[in-house]
Amino acid sequence: MASTAASAPAVPSLNLPPSQFARLQPHAYLLAHLSPPSASTQPSVRANGRAASQFRVTSANAGSLTHTNGSAVVRIGDTAAVCGVRAELLHTADIASWSVSNASDEEADSATQKGASQNADDDRNQVQDLHLLVPNLSLSTGCAPGLTPGAPPSTLAQSLSHEILSLLHTTNLVKADDLRIWYQPPNLESEEFRNAAEGMEVDSEQNGGPEPEIKAFWVLYIDIMIISWAGNAFDAAWSSVLAALRDTKLPKAWWDADNETILCSDDIADARKLSLRGLPISSSFCSFEADAAAGWRAVVIPSPEELKSQGQKEGSQQRWILADPDGYEEGLCEERALIVVDNEDGKTVILKMDKLGGWGMDSDDLRQLVDVSAERWQEMKQILDQC
Amino acid sequence: MADRRRINGPPGGTRPPVYASLQESTTGAAQRAQRQRQPAELRKIFLQTGMIPTASGSSYLEFEPSASLAAARANPKSLIPPSSALKVACTVHGPKPLPRSAAFSPNLVLTTHVKYAPFAARKRRGHIRDASERDLGVHLETALRGAIIAERWPKSGLEITLTIIEAEDDRWWGDAPDSHDASWGLMNVLAGCITAASAAIADAHIDCLDLVSGGVAALVSDESNSASSIPRLMLDVDPAEHRSILSACVVAYMPARDEITEIWLKGDSSRAALEKGDDRSSHEALIDGAVDAARGANTVLSEAVRESITRSIAQA
Repeated sequence: MASTAASAPAVPSLNLPPSQFARLQPHAYLLAHLSPPSASTQPSVRANGRAASQFRVTSANAGSLTHTNGSAVVRIGDTAAVCGVRAELLHTADIASWSVSNASDEEADSATQKGASQNADDDRNQVQDLHLLVPNLSLSTGCAPGLTPGAPPSTLAQSLSHEILSLLHTTNLVKADDLRIWYQPPNLESEEFRNAAEGMEVDSEQNGGPEPEIKAFWVLYIDIMIISWAGNAFDAAWSSVLAALRDTKLPKAWWDADNETILCSDDIADARKLSLRGLPISSSFCSFEADAAAGWRAVVIPSPEELKSQGQKEGSQQRWILADPDGYEEGLCEERALIVVDNEDGKTVILKMDKLGGWGMDSDDLRQLVDVSAERWQEMKQILDQC
Repeated sequence: MADRRRINGPPGGTRPPVYASLQESTTGAAQRAQRQRQPAELRKIFLQTGMIPTASGSSYLEFEPSASLAAARANPKSLIPPSSALKVACTVHGPKPLPRSAAFSPNLVLTTHVKYAPFAARKRRGHIRDASERDLGVHLETALRGAIIAERWPKSGLEITLTIIEAEDDRWWGDAPDSHDASWGLMNVLAGCITAASAAIADAHIDCLDLVSGGVAALVSDESNSASSIPRLMLDVDPAEHRSILSACVVAYMPARDEITEIWLKGDSSRAALEKGDDRSSHEALIDGAVDAARGANTVLSEAVRESITRSIAQA
């Protein structure tokens, strides 16, 4: 023992490989990347080599699953989401309140002829009230080490599912008219029909007139499996939903009066695609603060005037807003922002803005983030158009 | 009672669409898919490891689509797919310490979860694992337990999760369920799961005796009157391509040791047309066929594992 110690004066090496340093001191590691010493010419980059407002490489592929009406796989860096849309039928006979709500809808229908905006509101009501869109996100696919498969959906999975549902509703993405199946009752008054239907049992109530009626709705079951999770699950899930809905084809369906059921045509030429309203693209951000313990200290939030007088140097600490955080960065950031934008005739429209977990981001920051999201919209539009 | 942790559809329930062409199917508008392969010819397998970086090991497996499905994809005419091809994603987490509450175990504790995606099959699946999925998990666990050298990781657990993104059909979609019917698609799914899980375990650097791979063989009869016809032995059957399957067998097989870790035989294997001079009983022939299929899958598996090892050496 002694001889070996003498022959090799063991100076413990303090050189850790970067991967180990990243694990032991994650906060310091990311901070060191973002704030390089001023002497060096190194630019401030994140630990994963991206600039602060740079998104990961995104790819999308649609229509590869056999048993779906529409499907898509979206990969954002190492995060992968598979989305499948299945359409099933909801007969109006199965809606408990249909005959009641239908009567009130009739009045609304005549009113909706006036403006498109009201039409959109009406659509939202029907889609929402009848639960025609059913998104569910599953994280229990072994996509990350902490999540036990087979367990009921975690709080995160539930909140993501719900966020997708509320975004589908607020953006009015799916037109209710695409989901309706109309039936035009035959005009029993007309001569030809009388001749044709001779001997047939005829419901006398239908004599009223050939007012078209809704016989059924398509219900879209939107199931999202997060296959691999390396941060920013929402963006991946939402873009996969968007790509899958753009790919969705609904078969032509009609009311078959003889069988009293809805029949569909399996001919692909009869099927039609959903016509979606706009293209809402989501972008997630998180704010990385230089002082890791700041969140633990009691803070009196300064009023905006105070902040202005103090200047940025004292009042707030140094921080970076990182676009599209990966799993490593998500674990180090408290404050998050989610911005959903659309582009209408070259004008950026904000559809949703979510900011939680801190008070570091101010309105100027958010304005910048909207600009970044608008750029991301262009990028995502290209990716989704190609898939 | 509705599941309150998920978003449920309309409370009145929904019905899957009914296609009009199905009701007048006597016209024969839809043609049953035909097997284009030789009886002993296997489907191509796509297998890749390391696609899920957050897991210690992962793999993705896909079967080659049948000729009819490939044709339908290239030139879509009908919304009803003629058949489907297996797609499985597998992740391995571990070995990791067992929770404090768990009893002492001198061996690696293996848990397997098999879950179909809701859109995996022709009929929409529920979100909660049903009995057949749990059954698949148990079969998979037996298949893998024989291959893993479990005593090298005392007090540890290994979690294997398989997500079936697209499953195989149990029969041709136009057929009504009949007496010969069983969930034949399940057998193919199990074979795929065994091969995929084996690749993921190797990707996670868990010591194994050998690479275990799955194979399927079946006795099928394609003639319309199944009573008189003599069933034939075929490897790697796609149930959608055959009129009736009498019996099928899955094995999990380790070629280097010539050992079977799991065998699952279903159906009536009493009569089969074997070649002259072949004095094996027909269920022996069936098992041998499944072993041959597993040997074929093993060539793909070892290639995928080689890729995985070269990648991990390059990273180190």
